[in-house]
This record gives sequence, structure tokens and C-alpha cells, in this order.
Amino acid sequence: MKLEELKQKMDEAHYIYDDTLATVLSVALELGRPLLIEGAAGVGKTEIAKVMAKALDRDLVRLQCYEGLDESKALYEWNYQKQLLAIQVNMGNQDADKLTRSLFSDEYLLERPLLQSIRSEKPVVLLIDEIDKADEEFEAFLLELLSDMQVSIPEVGTIGAKTVPFVVLTSNRARPLSEALRRRCAYLYIQYPDVEKELAILRAKLPHVDDQLCAQVAVAVHKLRSNEAILKKPSIAETLDWAAALDALGVKELTPDALRHTAGFVLKNSEDLEAVQQLDAGEHACHCGGHCGGHHHD
Amino acid sequence: MPATVAAIAEAITMTDPSVYTRKIAAFCRMLRLEGLTAGPQETADACRILTVVGMEDRSRVKTALRTVFAKTREEQETFERVFDGFFVSEEAMRRQAEEYAKREREMEQARRQTEEELLLNGQPMDFDDRQREAYATMPPEERQKLRSFMDRYKESAARNPDLYSNFIHSVFAKSILEQQMLMEDAALGCGSADPELGLMYRDISEFKDTEIPKAIAAIQTVAQQINGELSAKRSRGGRGGKLDFRRTIRKGLETGGSFYRLSFRKKRHRKKRLVILCDVSGSMVQFSEFALRFIQSLNHASESSRIFLFSEELVEADVFSLENMDKFRSYVKESGTYGRGTDVGKALQKLCTASPPVLNDATTLLVLSDTKTVDLPKALQALTEAKRLSGRVLWLNPIPAHKWQYLRSAQAVASMCHMAACNDLRSLSQACRRLAQLQD
Repeated sequence: MKLEELKQKMDEAHYIYDDTLATVLSVALELGRPLLIEGAAGVGKTEIAKVMAKALDRDLVRLQCYEGLDESKALYEWNYQKQLLAIQVNMGNQDADKLTRSLFSDEYLLERPLLQSIRSEKPVVLLIDEIDKADEEFEAFLLELLSDMQVSIPEVGTIGAKTVPFVVLTSNRARPLSEALRRRCAYLYIQYPDVEKELAILRAKLPHVDDQLCAQVAVAVHKLRSNEAILKKPSIAETLDWAAALDALGVKELTPDALRHTAGFVLKNSEDLEAVQQLDAGEHACHCGGHCGGHHHD
Repeated sequence: MPATVAAIAEAITMTDPSVYTRKIAAFCRMLRLEGLTAGPQETADACRILTVVGMEDRSRVKTALRTVFAKTREEQETFERVFDGFFVSEEAMRRQAEEYAKREREMEQARRQTEEELLLNGQPMDFDDRQREAYATMPPEERQKLRSFMDRYKESAARNPDLYSNFIHSVFAKSILEQQMLMEDAALGCGSADPELGLMYRDISEFKDTEIPKAIAAIQTVAQQINGELSAKRSRGGRGGKLDFRRTIRKGLETGGSFYRLSFRKKRHRKKRLVILCDVSGSMVQFSEFALRFIQSLNHASESSRIFLFSEELVEADVFSLENMDKFRSYVKESGTYGRGTDVGKALQKLCTASPPVLNDATTLLVLSDTKTVDLPKALQALTEAKRLSGRVLWLNPIPAHKWQYLRSAQAVASMCHMAACNDLRSLSQACRRLAQLQD
């Protein structure tokens, strides 16, 4: 897909992007490489996969990684209990070889996201979310899929992809990923958006919210993120939640009171809330960067 | 219009693929020299993508190639540097050439001046070319200081060359050595452009007070990573165990003898004890605080650890009193060990002879110190004894590894036990990861 075409599709999906992101996505698509996206929590890594599914008009197949994830949860599993029942029911009715063969057929195969994505008739977008949470063995197991778009099941053999999915892997850098995995992927590192981009996101996602309030929220969030005392930086989703909450409360302007009452939407631990309260006692509490025009500083 | 001519020329060359494939091949060589993985696959991908993206838009070419070649955020930094150096515009190239020529002229002049200044009693002083080069790059005021010093002792050196020549030489050598260290730091790019990356790569002792919360947050993130890695490893150990026949059969009885649910054995886990010997003399306090915070954040290392603080005396620390930086500092001050000289030998000796014994086969001794101590032979002897008593000895040194060659104590300790340089948070986190793996 050409870059301009991709940009048009992302515009249609109402996704706010910059040139770098569009170029990286276009390169990954052009080369047919999986895309590894790294960045802090809440910068919009997972959203990219969702938008790509929308832009490419494909289904999204999602594999959420966690400690202890193995191929039985990610690729396939034999329906052991059903196989056991089939053996007991058909004991003496069929010849043994036929029964054994039938036990390892599609009927007893439980497809998990990875297998589902390569056996799909229509190409899909495969999201392997938070790969850093999975074990190193699982990473090694993914290599075959990522480089050759095939998987090996001992009882069946090698299963090649019917259609090639666009694979997006995300990582919060909770642990370093292996060199082998990285080499197979195109790489993108994303950071928190700047004020303009965040404002554009707010406008696109919450068109009904007052523009001035959106601007104040965007600036305030930017200030919070750049504040060293804030340990858990607010994510884009939290910015949206905050703006929506302020709007639902009928707040037209981000005053220190409004900030105090709704800070829980954007800051999620007590230390950060305390830090903001301490700042609040200081000279310019609303973190509006002067955008409020000093209305509330009586 | 030279810009248009250049654009046309570039467009013409782009029609011939061999031109940019040669360029890309050369660029890949540069990337490899900088430590990036630029194999045949990446080179082929880069060529393929350039035919699609074209060469007209420099920033687009940069993004496309970065996607192919740089696979971590750190590699992206390196890539940017190499790209900017390799794909330069004609104007930038001319500017660079002019700057280079100017620098060369200045260096040549400085070299000539160095020859004149490094003369003692009419004879050239005994310095090699690298040392002379370091002298030439010294700031003028430093060189002026050395010249004044030389002038002051010139007559004495002429009267008694044996005594004063060595003295003058040693003063010059010390200043030159410091300059060499500064040059090495500059070459390593200690101040990174990215503030977050910069914090990980900057010398811990250079942290400002305002940066400490950020550094602590970075430590906690990395410690969380390490904890995550180890718990993932451990859960794998349990799952990969053998089939537990007894449990499986017992559960099978519930379903009429069919084994619907399989049970697996889990491995038993035994942890090693960690003994931390922590230098809190003057300049070491900040490093020790960071290192201890790191180690305490590691579940697997901290659960069974004992901490000893030392300078000239050895004091066992109460782990709960070291929770935050203020508490740590006041605790260290109260312990009477703060701001005094360092006697590693005495501390190790006391640790070895403690009753009941602190060190045994099941303990790992971790020393946080820059190795600078009074009575080095005694320290080395005590280290040998500590090594014999404990299962393993690890040494975390806040002095960067490339400077160990200038320190006799660092060289001696490194030859006796595993010593890791931990001058910045990145190397400290690497050392702590290794430690946690060993402890697990």
C-alpha cells in the first residue's frame, strides 16, 4: 500500500498520526514485516493495531501476553477431554488406527489466536500485545511464525499461512526482547504526543467537548507528564477520560477546584495526587501554562 | 540554481539502482562499525524500501531506513548519528571540510607549542604521542598554570635535576592523565541528547538533586523488569516439571479412572543469602544509596540480605532505616562512618572474623566500593580470605571500566574477583540483573 493511500485510510478512520508513524507503517506493510512498537504505557501502541485493522478493512485478532503464556494458549490445544470421551464412546466400534487418526483432526483442535490468524481465509491484523510480559521461550516459539508465517504442530506437521496477517507486537519494555525477535521486525518507538497532537486527539475523539477546555486539558496533561515529581505519567486514554469527566460535570474551565475534584481520572496513585496538591498550593496550580488567562487566580 | 541542479543530478542517479545500492552498502558498513545489526536481510530491505520511498524527501528516507536498521531506542540514537554523518548535503559537507581544516591547523599549532612547552633542562620530557596530544588539547588556562609551575621550579631543576625533574614530570603527568580521562568521557558521549536516555547513561555522581526522583523512578522501573523476568523464569520451572503420577491417579478416581486432569510436579526453590558491604566514605554515599535502593527493589536479592556500612569502621545497617535517601543519609551520619577515609581491608577482616560467622558457602558477598583504600596489600589479603569463606564475591565499582587502567587498586581487585563497572544507571541495572540471576 502506498504511503498516500495509507494516510487517506487512516484519515478515514479518524486517527491522528504524524509523518513518521505513517512512514513506518507503510514500510512495515511494504516489506511484509511484523511491526514491533515500544513505548511507555498509554502512548497508544495497541490503538495502532486497531486502527490498522480498520484502515486495511481486516479483522483484528488479539493475543494478550502474560507470564506463563504458552503455545497451548497462543497457538493450539488438543481438546483432551473430548478426545478422551471419543475414545471411551468409540471403543470397540471403530478400528484402532482410524480412531487414532481421527483424534488428531480439526474436530479436536482448539484454534488459538496465532493459528486462527494464519488459517483465516481473509488476511487479518494480528496484535500480540505486551510481548515483554511473556516468557523468553514463548518469544523463541514466535520466531517461526514471524519469519516464515508458518507453525509446526507435532501431530499434524507444518501449517503454512493461508493468508499473511499484518502482525503488530507491542512492548512496554518491562524486559529486553531477544535480538532474534527484534531482527525479524520493523521497529517503532512512540512517545507521549505533544500538546498540539494531544489536542487534535481530544478534538477528534470528543468533538462535543468545549475547545477551550480541551486545550486546557491538553496543556495540563503535558505539564503533568513533564513534571518530575509525577511518577505515573498520564496516558492518552486517561486524558480522554479526564476531559470527558470534566465535560460531564459541566466544567467549562479547568480551575484549581476542578483539577482537585477530578485529578483521580488522570493520576492513579496517592504519591502523584499528593505531589499535585503540593503544587496546587504553589503559584499557578492549574498547570494551564498561562492559557487560563489567570481567571481563577483571585 | 545549484539546488535544482543537485536535485536533477540526484534524480538521474536514482534511475540507476547500482548507485544507491552501493551507497546503502557503504552505509551498512558504517552502521556495523557502530555496533548495529545490518545484515544482508536488512540491506536488502533497505534497498527495496528506497525504491518505493525514493530519495527526494530526506526525513522520509531517514525514517524508512531507521525502521529497517534500528531495533531499539538506543539503536535509533546511534542510527540518527550515523545517518546524519553519512547522508550530508553538499553545503554541510563543505562546512564540515572547512571546520576540519581549521581544526587541523589549530592542532598543528598546538603541537608545535607543546614541543616547546614540554622541554625540561633543554630536553623533551618523557611523554608518548597520546600524552602529548592530550596536553595539546588542554584548556589554555590549565597549560598556563603548568607553565607557571615549570617557571617556578626551572632553576631548582637545573641545580638538582634528579630530584626536581621527577617532581615536575609527575605534576605534568597527573594533569595530562586527568585530561585523558576527560577526553575519553567526551568520546563516549556521556551527555546524551535524549533526557531520559541521558539519565540512564550519565555518571551517578553527577545527578542533580532535582534529577534524583526521576532516577529513583527509573531504578524502580528497571527493578520491576528484573523481578518480572525472574518470576517468569521461575513459573516456567514449575510448569516444565515432570508428571505427578500420584496426584494424577488420585484426581482420576473422581472421574472413574479417566485422567481428565493432569498434575505436574513443581521444583523446590532454595535462595542464597546476600551480604552487602557498602562504602559510605564521602564521595561514595550517592552511589551506595542508588545501588542499595536497586538491590532492595529486587525481591529475590533483598529477602535474605544483610547490609554492612563501612569507611574506617564497620557497622551493620538496619534495612528498614535505609528506605529513602534522607533516612539513608541521616542513618549513615549517625553510624559514625560518614565522610571518613576508606579502609576496605579492615572492613573485610572484621566481616571475616565476625561471630557468629556472617560469610559461608551459601552467601554471596557484594562489595560496593571504588577500591580506593588505605593499605591496599592488607585489603587484598582480606579479600582473599573473604573469597575463601563466601560462595561468591562480586564487586560493584562506580568508576568506569576504561579508567581502571589508571588505578592500581582497581586492577588488583578486578584480577581477584568479578568486578562490574556501575558508574551509570544502565550499567548498575545490568550488574543488578546479573546479581539477581545468580541469587535466584
